[in-house]
Amino acid sequence: MDILIYGTINSVALALYALGFALVYGISRLPNFAHGALYILSGFITWSALNTLGFNYFVSILLSLLVTGIIGAVIYQFFLIRVRGMEISEIIASYAIALAILEGLRWGGFKGMTYTLPVFISGSTTIAGISVDYQRLLAVAIGAVLVVCLWLFTRFTRIGLALRGMAQDERAALMLGIDSDVMAVVAMGLGSSLAAFAAMLLLPLGNIVVESGYNVLILAIAVCVVGGIGSWPGAVLAAFIIGFAQILTVVYIGSHYQMVVALLAIILTLILKPSGLFGQQKELEERV
Amino acid sequence: MKTRPINMLIVFLMTVALTLSAGTVRAEKPILIGCPLSTAFLYGWDAERGVTLAVEEINAAGGVDVGGGQKRLFKVETIDTRDLEPGVPVSEALLAVEKLILDKKVDFIVGGPVRSEAALAAMPLLSKYKKVSILTTGVLTPKYHAMVAKQYDKFKYCFRIHGEAKNLVGEIFANFNELKEKYGLNNLFIIAQDVSHARGAANIIKDIATKKGWNVTGLEIYPTGATDFSIGLLKAKETKTDIINIWMDMPESAILLKQWYDMQIPALPFGSTLAAAEQPGFWKATDGKGEYTLCNVVNAGNAPSTATPWTMKFYDAYTDRWGVEPEGLGTSSSYMAVYVLKDAIERAGSLDSDKVVSALEKTDMMGVYGRIRFDPKSHQVIPSTDPKEGAVGSILQWQDGKRIVVYPKSIATGEILLPPWMKK
Repeated sequence: MDILIYGTINSVALALYALGFALVYGISRLPNFAHGALYILSGFITWSALNTLGFNYFVSILLSLLVTGIIGAVIYQFFLIRVRGMEISEIIASYAIALAILEGLRWGGFKGMTYTLPVFISGSTTIAGISVDYQRLLAVAIGAVLVVCLWLFTRFTRIGLALRGMAQDERAALMLGIDSDVMAVVAMGLGSSLAAFAAMLLLPLGNIVVESGYNVLILAIAVCVVGGIGSWPGAVLAAFIIGFAQILTVVYIGSHYQMVVALLAIILTLILKPSGLFGQQKELEERV
Repeated sequence: MKTRPINMLIVFLMTVALTLSAGTVRAEKPILIGCPLSTAFLYGWDAERGVTLAVEEINAAGGVDVGGGQKRLFKVETIDTRDLEPGVPVSEALLAVEKLILDKKVDFIVGGPVRSEAALAAMPLLSKYKKVSILTTGVLTPKYHAMVAKQYDKFKYCFRIHGEAKNLVGEIFANFNELKEKYGLNNLFIIAQDVSHARGAANIIKDIATKKGWNVTGLEIYPTGATDFSIGLLKAKETKTDIINIWMDMPESAILLKQWYDMQIPALPFGSTLAAAEQPGFWKATDGKGEYTLCNVVNAGNAPSTATPWTMKFYDAYTDRWGVEPEGLGTSSSYMAVYVLKDAIERAGSLDSDKVVSALEKTDMMGVYGRIRFDPKSHQVIPSTDPKEGAVGSILQWQDGKRIVVYPKSIATGEILLPPWMKK
């Protein structure tokens, strides 16, 4: 039972890490290596709004989601747009931005282990004899709602449909009057806000540490590679595969191998099915 | 009134003489102390602050007498080794040390590298350049001073002024035994970070505990940067563990303690190395969830006590200077290392490495955490539970928002309490 409960929690956390990354790549084919840095940045924005500016916690969270989204859009509009389509340059540029953000935070004094965000609901409960705290249960519930909301957004709103159009065929979308650059900016803003959303749910469980930005990026990449880069359903499924594999590893093999699972998953996917579980477009390229 | 030229000349000469005599200290080239530290982490920045405070105090008092009445000031040159960061290779720390020696041309090394692996790898470098180094933070591996003892001629430039893993193990078992006698605790679960000193110490604890009749219910090793400890904690709970012994210096160890509280694990968290709980900000960072957590801050002075007359003097001076109380392992020892170095240089009357090594070996001074002496063969600071005899450690417990020293008894200000959900 503990495997089921904590496997699910771990999987939802991985899905939350990866959704923003998958969304940006799925729409604009941009591997946003600044994703983990934006996740941590949003945590510090919330912390600063709450503790330095004295805002209400809920207002601080909304502010953080908004500001991180804007920062993501600005990063695309002023930096990444210049290297769009050049994959290696996109990776280098976005990773350089990640380094600038994370090292800038560190340089600004955001170091140590005392930066924390309060949990939404304090306390814990017991499910089938296993103790679980409310914040983790809330993260699972909100994570599930988020996935449903994203699905609805991309199917029943004009912007969502435009984003899907871009993801399916950029040239066809252009012919239908969809501005691909504007949509890419929107996607980057939305993806950054999703990183911030994940941070708001998961950071209260621990502390805001600059270094974890790199871990978040690695986990997001692992989930997206296994799921098929750019595929949201693939990302969710891969999150559950890796999430449960990590927990099973901790239980039956050893906790110090848990990070190896994510990296091993990337290697195995690239050897056995480079397109990932749901990477349909890449799969077509592979067949050709 | 007309001023005579001779009077003007006398005034001029006196002014020059006064200026020159006042500037004797300042005209000399400062003694450069190189500090290779992982400055983004507790064991790095607290060491830097400790060194800086001592240097400021010594310089304000006139500097260091290098012999022949020649006084020179100390100057600190810090470099970020990043060796506590996950995924950063040891070679980065070695480059940092080499840069301090070759580029910054430091006279002495004080502080790190902080990670045991990096400090061990830096030993041949120190030997190659004959640079006297006093380790003050982080490095707990017994291998460090064992290597000095084994190859004295090669590694004689390496000293360590803070406690090491074997001392910590002894201190921990003194407390475990007390808890066993007082509350009947007997089941021990060990959680360690996947780094050299923690893995080594955890295995030593496991072996010794088993020999001493403890029931070791498990040993979990987590990678640096791990953020979920729920399965390990559940294992501890399922095996009816009484004490969870923790060896972690990563910031994420705060998550472990939050989870321990949220899951109401009926076991006492006893950190041997537990960076998160050492800091004064721990209480606020965990919303008080870390209450009852024990941790070893390695040397007195890193938590409030009256080990020696200098302890609280240092404690207050640090708090005034940095706006925060001494924060954990590496604070008092880094501060003390500068005073010990000053004392050795003055006795040696020179900055020559071999002469300073000889002087350091003869160090005998009452410091912040007791009597400071080095073992002449291994260059490890001599430990004791009595501050009059040697360097004393400090184990603290978080009680009602305060860091209460519970060990050694000679300096303790309180006793270990159990959380209400595990009262025996």
